[in-house]
Amino acid sequence: MLRLTGQGVAHTCDGVTRRDFLEVGSLGAIGLSLTEMLAAEQAFAATEAGKSADKRSCIMIFNLGAPSQLDTFDMKPDAPAEVRGPFKPISTRSSEIQISEILPRHAEVADKFSLVRSCYHTAAAVHDAGWQMMQTGRQFTGGINYPHAGAVLSYLKGRRSDLPPFVVLPQLMGRGGGNLPNGQAGGFLGKAHDPFSLMADPSQPDFKVPNLLPPSEIGEARLDRRKRLRTIVDETVAQFEASDDARLLNENFQAAYRLMTSPQARSAFDLSLEPNHVRERYGMTRFGQCCLLARRLIEAGVRFVTINTFLTVFDEITWDIHGSKPFTSIAGMKDIVAPLYDRGYAALIEDLDQRGMLEETLVCNLAEFGRTPKVNPAGGRDHWPQCFTVYFAGGGVQGGRVIGRSDAIGAVPAERPAPPSDVVGTIFHSLGLDPKIELPGPGKRPFPLIEFGAAPIRELF
Amino acid sequence: MSASLRLFSWCCFYLLTGMLAVPHACAEWRILPESIELGGPRESQRLLMISGNAELSTGQLGEVTFRSSDPGIVRIEGNRVLPVQDGNATITAHDAEQPEQVLAKATVRVTGTAGPGEISFVRDVQPVLSKLGCNSGACHGALAGKGGFRLSLLGYDPKLDHFTLTREARGRRIDLGDVGRSLLLTKPLGLVPHKGGVRFDQDSEACRILSQWILQGAVEPRDGEPRVTRLEVLPHAVRLRPGTGHDLLVLAHDSAGGVRDVTRWTKFSATHEPIATVDDGGRLTVVGPGEGAIVAWYDSKIILARVSSAYPYEVPPDLYAQAPRVNFIDELVLRQLENLRLRPSPRASDEVLVRRAFLDTIGTLPTAEETRAFVDETSPEKWDRLVEHLLERPEFVDYWAYRWSDVLLVNGRVLRPDAVRAYYQWIREQVATNVPWDELARRVVLARGSSHEQGATNFYAIHQTPEDMSENISQAFLGLSIGCAKCHNHPLEKWTNNQYYAMANLFARVRAKGWGGDPRNGDGLRVLYVEETGDLIQPSLGKPQRPAPLDAPPLDIEAAGDRREALADWLTAVDNPYFSRAIANRVWKNFLGIGLVEDVDDLRLSNPASNEPLLTALSEFLVAEKYNLKSLMREILRSETYRRDSQPLAENREDTRYYSRYYPRRLSAEVLHDAFCQVTRIPSKFTQTENVDGSTSATSFYPEGTRAIQLYDSAVVSSFLQVFGRNERAITCECERSNEPTVVQVLQISNGEIVNQKLREPDSCVSQHLKNGDTLEQVIEQAFLTALSRQPSSSERERLLDELREPFAQALASSESEASLEQRRILLEDLYWSILSSREFLFQH
Repeated sequence: MLRLTGQGVAHTCDGVTRRDFLEVGSLGAIGLSLTEMLAAEQAFAATEAGKSADKRSCIMIFNLGAPSQLDTFDMKPDAPAEVRGPFKPISTRSSEIQISEILPRHAEVADKFSLVRSCYHTAAAVHDAGWQMMQTGRQFTGGINYPHAGAVLSYLKGRRSDLPPFVVLPQLMGRGGGNLPNGQAGGFLGKAHDPFSLMADPSQPDFKVPNLLPPSEIGEARLDRRKRLRTIVDETVAQFEASDDARLLNENFQAAYRLMTSPQARSAFDLSLEPNHVRERYGMTRFGQCCLLARRLIEAGVRFVTINTFLTVFDEITWDIHGSKPFTSIAGMKDIVAPLYDRGYAALIEDLDQRGMLEETLVCNLAEFGRTPKVNPAGGRDHWPQCFTVYFAGGGVQGGRVIGRSDAIGAVPAERPAPPSDVVGTIFHSLGLDPKIELPGPGKRPFPLIEFGAAPIRELF
Repeated sequence: MSASLRLFSWCCFYLLTGMLAVPHACAEWRILPESIELGGPRESQRLLMISGNAELSTGQLGEVTFRSSDPGIVRIEGNRVLPVQDGNATITAHDAEQPEQVLAKATVRVTGTAGPGEISFVRDVQPVLSKLGCNSGACHGALAGKGGFRLSLLGYDPKLDHFTLTREARGRRIDLGDVGRSLLLTKPLGLVPHKGGVRFDQDSEACRILSQWILQGAVEPRDGEPRVTRLEVLPHAVRLRPGTGHDLLVLAHDSAGGVRDVTRWTKFSATHEPIATVDDGGRLTVVGPGEGAIVAWYDSKIILARVSSAYPYEVPPDLYAQAPRVNFIDELVLRQLENLRLRPSPRASDEVLVRRAFLDTIGTLPTAEETRAFVDETSPEKWDRLVEHLLERPEFVDYWAYRWSDVLLVNGRVLRPDAVRAYYQWIREQVATNVPWDELARRVVLARGSSHEQGATNFYAIHQTPEDMSENISQAFLGLSIGCAKCHNHPLEKWTNNQYYAMANLFARVRAKGWGGDPRNGDGLRVLYVEETGDLIQPSLGKPQRPAPLDAPPLDIEAAGDRREALADWLTAVDNPYFSRAIANRVWKNFLGIGLVEDVDDLRLSNPASNEPLLTALSEFLVAEKYNLKSLMREILRSETYRRDSQPLAENREDTRYYSRYYPRRLSAEVLHDAFCQVTRIPSKFTQTENVDGSTSATSFYPEGTRAIQLYDSAVVSSFLQVFGRNERAITCECERSNEPTVVQVLQISNGEIVNQKLREPDSCVSQHLKNGDTLEQVIEQAFLTALSRQPSSSERERLLDELREPFAQALASSESEASLEQRRILLEDLYWSILSSREFLFQH
């Protein structure tokens, strides 16, 4: 089993520490070739218990705004009109699952995902509170910022290719109105584990990753010269090799050079390498192209990709269907939000499946809460953390099933209530991480991966 | 081999390797404890045979026989002495193979053997539950309990626990009629399914104590029972070679004057596992060189045993006596280095030192002229003069105002702009007039009045509940996190839930009128005052605690007046060890990079300093200097310790906390930002400030040329400062500042605007060189001097010229003047970039 010390060194059973390997890696600055460094990293990977779990990756699709469970995945056709809403349920490829008619492509891949219809949380019904809880498994209290599940994976396992271990597409979450940290960061694990945020819209024709490549006036020749000049200047400071941070910085220079110059990394971000019909299948929308990019990044070695379906709940039409201006209504959800979401998700699942990647890639679709069982006078629904649906595919999850149940009007869990800690615990479980592993919190206070008493939703596997 | 032979060879080894400070120590065999009290029929005492004394042991003798002078008074069972009857006796220790020889003696006094030997819930049962982990946070001590059974965390509420055990679950946990059917026994014995597994067997002492207690009627905790007042660990310290082990004894002194051996029920943990580990029974094993400690926890009390082990280096012993020293700092650091056999690095070069002192003292790079002037000066007093100069520079105020603004959380996401300015300007004023630190703390604690005029009152605008006020005062000025004790006794510290609420009650009467705290709206104008009445209710008791500063005697709860005055007096009293240590450690860390205690916000007892005498001396110095921080800074700067080279030697490469050399570290976000601006000659613009909801507002606080260390607060928009990990000032913790290098930082330096854009500006250093028509040699020299505060070495100069000479000459020869200029500009930009991205520039060293 993996054990952690306050210094963030991961000890494996055979006593080899991650830092041992990092030290080997950092020798790259003074002679080891990239291949040798990679070999050292692979040697590290080989020491990990549960090698198969090490291959696992995760794509978290975070539905900012919070979809209405009653109009998407937890239909109540027998409920009164003001509860059941305007849409009809449809059958799917799974005999156990019926979903809303506004998600026809989901119906075609319903044998691949399983729904948890009994998710809930007890914090305030503000977006940010749900964001932090659903992505970290905990509510932030006492000024302690918990790490995103992807940051935990980055901390425990590190990078596995030229690319960073944890990436957020298309950019970090914006404002939520509750003025709380949104949980999309390394938290107490430190900035070294913050996600790499794309900061660009991959559906734009001129899409490129900012700062990934040098400014246009700095071509390959200059880049090479800069590297040579820097080596001359930097070589004199041998004393820095005794400093962890200095080694880490040089590691990062290596990593940044790798990113900037690695054909693998460059091509991973280059969507023009995909045939047009594939891009079209995902939909030429920001969300659709993020899904496609996520698949490419996982293929290229990224461990954890979080896709924010929307950037904020304020400046665009999202799942946040209050009905009143500037928010959209239930009808707006059908016309604008559902089609692009439905298309991108189904394409991603089919694509991962056809490429044989689904078994090793957990795709989880989360949101900060659900929506009020009763339609409001403006023709929308408001915030409702008491009950909502999340769903999982791949990564060992058996598809086509429904776990948990809500009551007759989708207001509270009637069976197998699943708090955020269980949801995040499920992600760790799929990734092969023991929930009892302790992380070093502020003041070295230890925090297990998920709260005491929480447990993965094992019925999914 | 006989024990005496073994002793002889040990002594020789120690003497030969110089591990024992006193040569005659091999004669000093002792039994610990030397005088033993057994105060009841159920008491017993374990014995240790050690070389040294209660203060310091340099070895433990394992194979030893103990004898009682009067088996009618005490008897011996292995290495344990047990009472038989009241009286006095002597214990002697003998070599197993030379039984006639007495190695050492100890005395025993036995009393109370005629007493009933009743099992006490608090004294006997709860320690068992704690030791076995039953009431830990992972088990029944969790807030929600486990399996429907909840105990107070680590037993802080004995009455509740007694009720839970005897009354809840329809009384099934205790079966007075048939003891063996009690769940309290059947569960941990594994006779019925127990998710926590089997915790003990039927022959164990734990089982005996629990069943005896039930048999005697599961007696409840009595008022007035003696309580543990302090712990004692024996020996207090050990000095051993790696690979050796040593047992520890823990004695509990109680309020009735009694002493008991509680080693068996003590929880042990190690503070630095790479140095020493400890097992469940209190046996430590030295794993590697360095100084660490073993923490012993019993009944919410804590004590440390220090462990030190020398590095395996060959260092001539007289080196330490001959090493140069300026003041007490050097004396105490050298003493620790000698203990640990670490070789001190020599003094760094003038070039390194001038850069180091500028960055650490005023957060600013020296200019090329300043560097030259210092290096060229020949006076022996030049270092002291530089120190005095830096302490009086205007940037000193900028730098330290921004450091203390981190501690006091000046943050525009929480406060309105005018309040931010008032708060910051107040801090700045304290630095500018060199207000003593105790006075500054008093002014914060006692702040009242308008938040726009009395800037310090904004501390109470950020922290609006008594709990928050109390926690943040502790954190900022004592380096203590007491937050855990809000819900239960602190698991790592001595602070109890009662003490937490007694402290918080000091703030119960602090009130304010005006702006309520909405960071998005209003003028931020708030008038702070103190009510005559009012108390804070402690939730677990439903009534208030008598107000008291942590471990100080309580105030009269009925008395009117500002209770914060008592806090301010206690806080800044010369005998408050936390206050002076906390600030001494903060200042020390600023200059040496590594705190004597890490983290600086985590000064708990169970987190010892790497050089305890030094931290004590620094804090005493500060007290003697009436908390004049400049005096402390001067003393640190003047020391040889501060001036050591950062180049590791073979005999100190492993050292990361004893100051045998200077430790390189990345410049903090603000200082690094300003260094980029200074070298490129292009300042940044700060025009926006971020609101709590993520939106931004324009700010006119910062005129052109404002440096990052002059910014009032952490909400000023700057992607550079954010990426490089400035302190976001959401909680009182230096840990919010991140100096860890990340890939995103490197991408920003490599491809982002901070360097590339500034170098291209028409007034940049590169443009200046081109305008002046400087030669490549001149550019290289100037770039090195401004960025790295040194001349390039001849090899660097040659190799850089080799890269640049030819293309530069080609560019010069070009007939098209514009293309020629652009070609040369590119080369110079690349040269500067390579220097500004080097670790020597990005790091303090």
